[in-house]
Amino acid sequence: MNAISKQVTALIADDEPLLREHLRTNLARLWPELRIVDEARNGREAVEMFDIHQPDIVFLDVHMPGLNGIETARSIARRAHIVFFTAYEQYAVQAFEQGAVDYLVKPIIEARLADTIARLQQRLQQANDLGASYDALLDRMATDMRQRTPKANYLQWIKASVGNSVRLIPVEQIAFLRSDDKYTLVAWDGGDALIRKSIRELSDELDPDRFAQTHRSVIVNLHYVSEVTRGMNETAELHIRGRPDVLPVSRSYLHLFRQM
Amino acid sequence: MKTATPNKPHWPALPRPRQIVVVLIISVLIAWVTTPIFQSPFWLVLRRTTFIAMVMLLAFTVSGTWRLQWMPRWIPRWMVQVLAICFLAPFASLAAYVAIAGNFMNFIKANNLLSGFATSTIFAIFFGSIVAVVAINREGKQRERADRLQLELEKNALEREVLDARLRLLQAQIEPHFLFNTLANVQALVEAGSENAAPVLRHLIAYLRAAMPRLNDADATLENEMQLVSAYLEIMHMRMPDRLQFELKLAPELKSLRFPAMALLTLVENAVRHGIDPGTEGGHIEVGGRQDASSGMVTLWVTDTGIGMAETAVPGTGLANVRARLQAYFGKDASVDLHEQTPHGLRVELIFHPGAKA
Repeated sequence: MNAISKQVTALIADDEPLLREHLRTNLARLWPELRIVDEARNGREAVEMFDIHQPDIVFLDVHMPGLNGIETARSIARRAHIVFFTAYEQYAVQAFEQGAVDYLVKPIIEARLADTIARLQQRLQQANDLGASYDALLDRMATDMRQRTPKANYLQWIKASVGNSVRLIPVEQIAFLRSDDKYTLVAWDGGDALIRKSIRELSDELDPDRFAQTHRSVIVNLHYVSEVTRGMNETAELHIRGRPDVLPVSRSYLHLFRQM
Repeated sequence: MKTATPNKPHWPALPRPRQIVVVLIISVLIAWVTTPIFQSPFWLVLRRTTFIAMVMLLAFTVSGTWRLQWMPRWIPRWMVQVLAICFLAPFASLAAYVAIAGNFMNFIKANNLLSGFATSTIFAIFFGSIVAVVAINREGKQRERADRLQLELEKNALEREVLDARLRLLQAQIEPHFLFNTLANVQALVEAGSENAAPVLRHLIAYLRAAMPRLNDADATLENEMQLVSAYLEIMHMRMPDRLQFELKLAPELKSLRFPAMALLTLVENAVRHGIDPGTEGGHIEVGGRQDASSGMVTLWVTDTGIGMAETAVPGTGLANVRARLQAYFGKDASVDLHEQTPHGLRVELIFHPGAKA
């Protein structure tokens, strides 16, 4: 195959239209022979467009909605030369440098873009293979990026219908939860609310450091317990700070309050 | 406060060593004073007195810590304790005198023992009640002191929270990612010779000036805050014109309201970052405020039609910070409420009384 006769093609993916436009104009000036086949607004579009056009080069923004740049690069695999660009993801820049991956930092500086173009032209002449280490790098970065969005194992909010809206109640403001017929009563600083989730489900989903089930039908926020009084037959009662409620502790949960 | 630990549970408790020692000393004194009345040797009176005193001490501590299920709640604890002592005094005396007499029949027959028993019961009730009341009084004062200390601690914690919130405000608020991306856009506009370059630069300057760390935000008004929010949203709209629309709806009479700087902006930034930006469809943001004419309560809101929030989403420091500063400005009743929007999105409401003193 004659590399000279074939026109080199590229795809640009960035969620910000002005930046796509800017890159396109700069590329047109510095590399007039390059043909931009399309522009994608997010990762998913980039993958679709890649499959249609099969470009030689893909310019990928790291931070994009839906599918981010790293995940997009993983689905393109090694079928094209990828150039990442990023505004500030310091960790990404470090990883790119270690993996000898092409990248640009926004705002793009013309001299830096010219270097990248020179390197791309050189690579297009050679048999290009970044090898398995490139895949491993992307895998590692994708995992890393997922971990950057903190997600708890336990519920942080309870969604409850109050009037005609759905409130998001922060769990640390909940005094206790008690089953009430088909519903569960949520007693919190802002009043009472009913939810459909059962005590059984909630006892698995709430942080055990803060919430304890004290009875078949009761889960209490330990930070709200003001007093524990002993009753008959190995039971006890919990008094809740700032509320008149007295909650039962059944025999099988009594051990929770023995050492307090 | 949120971190207060529950009080100790009230299991039936035995007398503490300190209480036993105090009661022993009192017993010796009472025995010494009453020996002339009883016509018995001092050591016998002492043994009897000590025995009765110990039984009553036990009654005192157990009745004070063990609340029986059937007992009505309105009976105060001190009354229960005094009644328990008075109730047990005759039985303790009786036991002591029967022990002296050898058996019950001897005791019944001996007139001097019977009158001694009556005298001893009266003394036991008399001295026992006095000692109990003094002890309860002291206990109450101690608890009062502990409560005051607890209150003081809570007050300190609140003050520290407000201070922390202000310190966090002093730290740089501007995210490098936002700054460099925005600069890249400005660069694109300038190089393209776009007439939008100048207004965008103006918005960026307004945003940067407001978001710079500063020491005093006491003069900030809601109008300043809305200008800052507007500058930020204009910038974001320029960056994602197809994904972000916005609307500002502040009632004009609220413009001059003193308001903690950056509080509303934090909510708007959250709406863009966590609601609009992660979704490919984007959405609409509305920021507004109104005052209820009759109650005077102010409601400010930031709504977005973005991707919404999961029940397991870890609340960032931003939201807690907004709550702390709002309460520092407008008192403990100021609240930050979150509502889910249909079909998706989030509505955050700040509700407070502008006249309330923190």
